[in-house]
Amino acid sequence: MYGVNGKILEVNLSTGVITKKMPDDKYYRQYLGGRGLGMRLLFDYLPHPGIDANDPSNPLMFMPGFFCGFPFPSMSRSCMVTKSPITAPKHKKYPNASTVSYSNMGGFIGPEIKYAGYDGIVFVGQSKQPVYLFVEDEQVELRDATKFWGMGTNAFDKAIIDEVGDRRFESAYIGSGAEKGVRFGSVINTAARAAGRGGTGYVMGTKKLKAIVVRGSGMPDVFDHAAYLSLLDKSRLAFGADSESKTNWRYGGTANALQFSSDRGSQAVKNYSEGTFAGIENINAHAARKQVWKRDFACFSCQLACKKSGFAKGAYGGVVHEGIEYETGTMLGANLLIDNLNGLHTLIEAADDYGIDIITLGNVIGFLMECYEKKLIDASYLDGIALVWGDVDAALQMVHKIGRYEGVGAKAARGVKFLADDIGQGSADFAIHVKGHELAAWNVQGYAKSFGISYTTANRGACHMTGGEINGQHQSALRDTLGACSFASSWYKGDLHYRHFIQVLNGIELSEEEFNLIGERVFNLERMLNCREGFIREDDMLPERFFKDAYTSGPQQGVVLDRDEFVTMMDDYYTKRGWDLKTAIPETATLEKLDLAFVGI
Amino acid sequence: MAINRKQFLHGLMLGTGGAAIAANLGFISTGLYNNKSIKAIVIDFDKCAGCRTCETICSANNHPVNIAGLQLKGLGNPELSNIRVWHYNPPADVPVTCYLCADAPCVEACPVKPHPETGRKALYRDETLQTIWNDRDRCIGCQSCANACKEQRGGVIFPDEEGSPTSMCTLCGGDPQCILHCPYEALSYLEITDSMPLRNLSPDLLAQKLYEKYYEQKSN
Ligand code: SF4
Ligand code: SF4
Ligand code: SF4
Repeated sequence: MYGVNGKILEVNLSTGVITKKMPDDKYYRQYLGGRGLGMRLLFDYLPHPGIDANDPSNPLMFMPGFFCGFPFPSMSRSCMVTKSPITAPKHKKYPNASTVSYSNMGGFIGPEIKYAGYDGIVFVGQSKQPVYLFVEDEQVELRDATKFWGMGTNAFDKAIIDEVGDRRFESAYIGSGAEKGVRFGSVINTAARAAGRGGTGYVMGTKKLKAIVVRGSGMPDVFDHAAYLSLLDKSRLAFGADSESKTNWRYGGTANALQFSSDRGSQAVKNYSEGTFAGIENINAHAARKQVWKRDFACFSCQLACKKSGFAKGAYGGVVHEGIEYETGTMLGANLLIDNLNGLHTLIEAADDYGIDIITLGNVIGFLMECYEKKLIDASYLDGIALVWGDVDAALQMVHKIGRYEGVGAKAARGVKFLADDIGQGSADFAIHVKGHELAAWNVQGYAKSFGISYTTANRGACHMTGGEINGQHQSALRDTLGACSFASSWYKGDLHYRHFIQVLNGIELSEEEFNLIGERVFNLERMLNCREGFIREDDMLPERFFKDAYTSGPQQGVVLDRDEFVTMMDDYYTKRGWDLKTAIPETATLEKLDLAFVGI
Repeated sequence: MAINRKQFLHGLMLGTGGAAIAANLGFISTGLYNNKSIKAIVIDFDKCAGCRTCETICSANNHPVNIAGLQLKGLGNPELSNIRVWHYNPPADVPVTCYLCADAPCVEACPVKPHPETGRKALYRDETLQTIWNDRDRCIGCQSCANACKEQRGGVIFPDEEGSPTSMCTLCGGDPQCILHCPYEALSYLEITDSMPLRNLSPDLLAQKLYEKYYEQKSN
């Protein structure tokens, strides 16, 4: 087969046995790579529903996107795939029921896995002592990682290069937070590129796997070499022509959205009770440009360089880190009413060094701030921390508590749903999650049709990247499958439609309809995996807050989501999807259309 | 003595105290060679975003493939590139390719006697573009050139399985491709002068200088 390696590396951490497996050609044709291929493999690795995410048999996968390694601009992303350690249905058919989980990261690790000769790396089992996986082309070894266990992500990123003695190795790793048991532990590569969401780093920690370290020298052959070269040239040129959008990405990355989102009232502010943040100008992209950022960084073969690195002086200064993005700046900034840019920079750095998901972290701290303000808890619940809105020091203490998994941190490390169960007193109404997974930095009031649907129907629990519109959800699943960065998607149109790249690489000719069907297949396979765990329509529910609390300021002031409107909206969605209205389970005809009839419930 | 690639790279990373000092003194080599000025790839570290597009371009152009009788550019496997982008943490990206040093310590180190007719050692300098080339037929695979470059300059030579040097910049025959395709305009093809900053240093030392510049710190 062209365009792929045709090989998956399977590493059994219990037995130490390493196998090179060749997936069926049909898997590639129907699921390509990345998230799609990962989900198809996940189905194979989970022989029945109800398997505990902590169980050694839960597989953890590093899945480079289908395009990874080929130097088309902005196609370097890879997906972590596993069963979620975070989510749960309202009514449990199995004690350990949870959804699928996946999390996407850019950087350089995806291409390197491809160069080493693999389309994915799957870990099963559980090691007795800490290990890391060393891969140099054909040479694959599990090595002792005892001396690295407990290390922060920054120290490890440096230490592993000394260990392997070659700076060309790429690595992906967990921090001490995931090791200790923080459920929302993330996987990080190349200095703070994070697969943040969904607890994939936590699962890695349960396996005692600190890192993968990879160096490859090969590259799969392509189906049509001449057409490949011309597509490569064209795609590079396309980016050059559209300079305004490119300049914007380089200027502020996703942090450009901080001001934009606050202005239109779609930002998560004060634990989602507001949509607009008064202090936004102190922490927006312009402020960061002026005070913090020194450098722009790109992922492999990317022209947008949305990643920054910064250094601030003065109070909370001296820390070198990327600092704000839209998500991190909102979740630890606006959502906590923190508008001290250096303080925010320090908070984000601390969280990334523990290797924990900043979106969930901002939810957890925001939720506790609200509980503290409403006197549902006092400082003794918080180990003495006076957790008031806007207080950088208090927030920083909480980050350390959580990262170290100590005291109240060990509770907060389990997410807002756990905290709401623990605290009670009606706090569940403002515990902002769907299926146990916290919402991201885009708020809901006034945007229920887009973000509301995205959060309720996303297959890993609340997710802002899923999209509210059905075809959009398929495109999003496709991008994660191809390794294509969503920020660059506007360039890949017409002659540069992704399906043409599939064709030159692999020879598979796809009409636009057939291409979209792959996205629909991936999305429905995930849904089916969730349904067989016992998730049904009642689990596609937004937090109570959005049906009750209106914002007190901003363009969405006074708007409250209407319950009936929500039901109609969801009815409409399920109908269009070909899912049963009562259970929200895909209908047989839908599954047959997608060649998914093999997934039973 | 044959050293395999891994051992070589190991040595490259560990370096030695002596090597670091030698590299620090590496400023002597800019300027003229045989009274001709030298043009080489010059990197603007302020602009580089570390995307490694240059690696894939260099690889594709310098390693063409033959497909059904047609000579086409390669796929762009970065492994085959003559320019390499080294990642550091704290974030700094350091592209390095052959500096075309006027004093060429690599050629100096080559122990093979000059050829009676051409006057060339196994590692030699091309008279037109002044790029560094290896005569594989005469090369004994001793890696003296690679070591000299590693210890005194950018460490840009990577020996192949037989120990012969690879990865010296060819300037793409006079029409450098990396500079055309760098999306951040970080590369240019310029006459080398003594006042150009940050030349002839190893990636580690360059990263050090960049830390000082951007983050006001010496840590590595
Ligand atoms: S292409 Fe340009 S920006 Fe990208 S790594 Fe090379 S020199 Fe740096
Ligand atoms: S190979 Fe190394 S020592 Fe020789 S000219 Fe190039 S940079 Fe200088
Ligand atoms: S000039 Fe040509 S050979 Fe030299 S680094 Fe650039 S692309 Fe490679």
